[in-house]
Amino acid sequence: MELFWAVWNNPIVSEYILRRLPTIVIVLFVILTVAAYLVYAERKISAFIQARLGPMRVGPYGLLQPLADALKLLSKEDIIPARAERSIFVIAPMISVVASLVVLAVIPFGPGRATITDINIGLLFVLAVSSVGVLGIILGGWASNSKYPLLGALRSSAQMVSYEVAIALALVGPLMFAKTLSMVGIIEAQMTDGIWYVFYQPVAFLIFLVGGLAETNRAPFDLPEAESEIVAGYHTEYSGFRWALYFVAEYTNIVISAALATAVFLGGWHFPGMARLVEPGTWPYALLAVLVFAAKVFAIVYCFIWFRWTFPRYRYDQLMSLGWKWLIPAGLANILVTGAVLVVAQQWGLVEAVRTDMGERLVSVWPWGKLFLIVAALLVSVPTVWITLAVINRRSADFNLRVQRQIRLPERGEEEVFAEV
Amino acid sequence: MAEPRRTWKQVLSRFLLLDLIKGLLVTFKYQAPRHCYTEQYPLVRPKVAERFRGAPRLNLDPETGESLCIACNLCAVACPEDLITVVEAVREYVDHEGKVKKKRVLVDYTYDTSRCMFCGHCQDVCPTYAIELTQEFELAIYRRKDFVWSWEMLEKGIEQPIYTR
Amino acid sequence: MHKPEIAITGERVLAAREMVLNMGPQHPSTHGVLRVILKLDGETVIDLDCDIGYLHRGVEKICENRTYVHIEPYFDRLDYVAAVSNDLCYVETVEKIAGIEVPEKARYIRVILTELQRIASHLLWLGTHAMDIGAVTIFLYAFREREEILKIFENYFGARLTANAFRIGGLQYDIYDGFEEQVRAFCRILPERLKEYETILNENRIWLQRTVGIGILTAEEAKDLGVTGPVLRASGVKWDIRKAFPYEVYDQVEFDIPVGENGDTYDRYLVRMEEMRQSRLIILQCLDKLKKLHPGPVMGKVPKIIRPPVGEVYHSIESPKGELGIYLVSNGTSFPERLRIRPPSLINLQALRKMAIGHLVADVVALIGSIDIVLGEVDR
Repeated sequence: MELFWAVWNNPIVSEYILRRLPTIVIVLFVILTVAAYLVYAERKISAFIQARLGPMRVGPYGLLQPLADALKLLSKEDIIPARAERSIFVIAPMISVVASLVVLAVIPFGPGRATITDINIGLLFVLAVSSVGVLGIILGGWASNSKYPLLGALRSSAQMVSYEVAIALALVGPLMFAKTLSMVGIIEAQMTDGIWYVFYQPVAFLIFLVGGLAETNRAPFDLPEAESEIVAGYHTEYSGFRWALYFVAEYTNIVISAALATAVFLGGWHFPGMARLVEPGTWPYALLAVLVFAAKVFAIVYCFIWFRWTFPRYRYDQLMSLGWKWLIPAGLANILVTGAVLVVAQQWGLVEAVRTDMGERLVSVWPWGKLFLIVAALLVSVPTVWITLAVINRRSADFNLRVQRQIRLPERGEEEVFAEV
Repeated sequence: MAEPRRTWKQVLSRFLLLDLIKGLLVTFKYQAPRHCYTEQYPLVRPKVAERFRGAPRLNLDPETGESLCIACNLCAVACPEDLITVVEAVREYVDHEGKVKKKRVLVDYTYDTSRCMFCGHCQDVCPTYAIELTQEFELAIYRRKDFVWSWEMLEKGIEQPIYTR
Repeated sequence: MHKPEIAITGERVLAAREMVLNMGPQHPSTHGVLRVILKLDGETVIDLDCDIGYLHRGVEKICENRTYVHIEPYFDRLDYVAAVSNDLCYVETVEKIAGIEVPEKARYIRVILTELQRIASHLLWLGTHAMDIGAVTIFLYAFREREEILKIFENYFGARLTANAFRIGGLQYDIYDGFEEQVRAFCRILPERLKEYETILNENRIWLQRTVGIGILTAEEAKDLGVTGPVLRASGVKWDIRKAFPYEVYDQVEFDIPVGENGDTYDRYLVRMEEMRQSRLIILQCLDKLKKLHPGPVMGKVPKIIRPPVGEVYHSIESPKGELGIYLVSNGTSFPERLRIRPPSLINLQALRKMAIGHLVADVVALIGSIDIVLGEVDR
């Protein structure tokens, strides 16, 4: 009993575990429900795009559909293939889910207590831990002891690893302004500057979006899961609740990618003029902040869903060449150009280093600094990136692809000569 | 054959991802509720055409209430699958003048819907419009032997299922 | 049982890097029960063999035991996607061998229905092809258009898929009131919908990367293999039975035949999209001509029991998949002696091996879709 009170009163435990417990519980509960309802949102949105209605029978407008799906999956027979590696087969989905959920600890949902914790290497932590999720996919595919899952797992892991490089390079651009890896710090930098980083770094935002689509095996990059040739990829042999775990991991990854994009590029939970509406530091402010964050995340997730149901799928080699030959050079070029522009801007006094209570930030002077940076982004970095890509890819097939309108309608009255009847 | 060089317009549209954006706009506009094309089936039953070839039915004369079938066996001959069985007999009856006459009457009629391909030959060939393929399309049943419809069932028709939810 | 052989010149032992993959009969995108056996080197296809016969129902043998009138519903089940075309081929063959005249009004209505069916078949092809390559939304849109056509069919002869539309000597039903309005309304919405599909697909860089240059079939190869239909026309050979040996009233309407140049998947896609537009023009012309002929007879003089004279006849039409032909041998009785069907999908499927070698596994799926096969026809 004494031991219990000793642990309870220990300052580290009380600071990092007990005080955060309510937030942790709320975040876990909310995110898992959101992941389940994301499936519902995807079904509804895809149905509207396809001129139909989606789930309508279970509950009003089908709102209880995720509950019905969860109950169905829980009650299914647990099938483990006979020659599969049992222990790894069981652990693999757990690794994926845990890797996705651990990342939630540093995502900045709102100011103050709305974020679980703030590490000063938050962004690096997110990238590192989400890479562990790839392990879950490889192990799942290999432990199934079957050809199709193995192929799917290897493809999927290669794709995810390549696009992680692209994502990381895309994220370096805004970091040059924020000068910190802490997630809360990045948002605070955008608050101090008064502008979202998407206006300074449109190229990086695009690279991040495309890389995020490929990371989460979605949209034009879902070949590892495509039904067309490899049936279902790495989760072919999984059924029932284990499959549901993989899907929770996938949809949580989607939410995390969208949350990263929001935090780094779209200003996180902040929008200009917020402090005037509600008094900062109180709980209505935190609530408003969380709602703003959720709205932005949902906008990006909506874009993910929209892209999936519009575009055809890339073939695997085209996918890999897109990652290595298009996105990574674009990311590198973007970093070089951003660095050059910042140096020039600092020389001309348009950008200055400002010391806030969390660290040093690069802030542009209003109005000329902002204008300069936005114009430089459009007129300097975009063409430079394009020229780099054109030079690297000038001989590749997809660069030289043109629309070939090559069918011809023979004119009326032309002599109809049929060769060799 | 020399391929034409790209024009500046083509380069710019590829560069600005216009081809992808145009496709996105088309799918976006379909989300308006007026574009929804589906019906919610058990709640709303689709209206089928008048000439729809659905469940068979033996029609009755509206005035006398007797079957219109004259047991001519043409439908059984016309059916490609040989699934209609017409059993007829010749019966004697006394007409209004008191003379004894013979008439062919229908004794039994069976129709096997499990092999029916709903081609409509039987209704095309019937001289009295007795057999008719109606607009019923919900023909699922629970036991295999219920597929063979008796004369009584052909006149009555199958029960339309009522969905409570 | 047919044991598919994969021709290996020289060695009989698979080298260490090669793998035999079975795209089995149950597969989400082989358009039916088709088994494709691939010999792969990594992801590249080195050899390919198709194993068919999973849908064989013995239609040709059944037809030897039925009278000519009874056989007609069986023909809908061959190419179940374009049932009306199959019916047309059969009734024309019997009319040819028995010398039965069909009234002009019936001919025009037959052409209208057949061209509507061609549009419906191409719409289904478009939907499934786009779905295999990944753009699932087009599938739903194409089926919405197809639904309009099927409603017209349902109003006209009572069934959507298994048509039993025509009768030997003409048609069973005259057109119903509102037929012309419904068909014209459909022809009005078709061009804008086709424009939408082209906006989503035609210049989309992902679509171009997946279809341009994939599965090139030169004109010489196409003629050697005997492929017909849009596959042949996309390879550059201008051959359409509606123009070469006109049947029904095709010599009295004006239309063009789209011809491609490269013979790749993109050209096959463009050729079929253009064919839908040409079919629409044919329908509008026939509707105009039909106005003058209505009311009129729709059934010619047909004997009570059809006993064609002893002889044989081969008649073919341009079905949406290619040249559908029927070779009919009659021995004077009311049952045919032998009825042989020339299935366009089976013969076009032979081109798959030539097209797929050298491409990746993902392209094989696109190629099967672009040849447009229906297993009901391949296996009969």
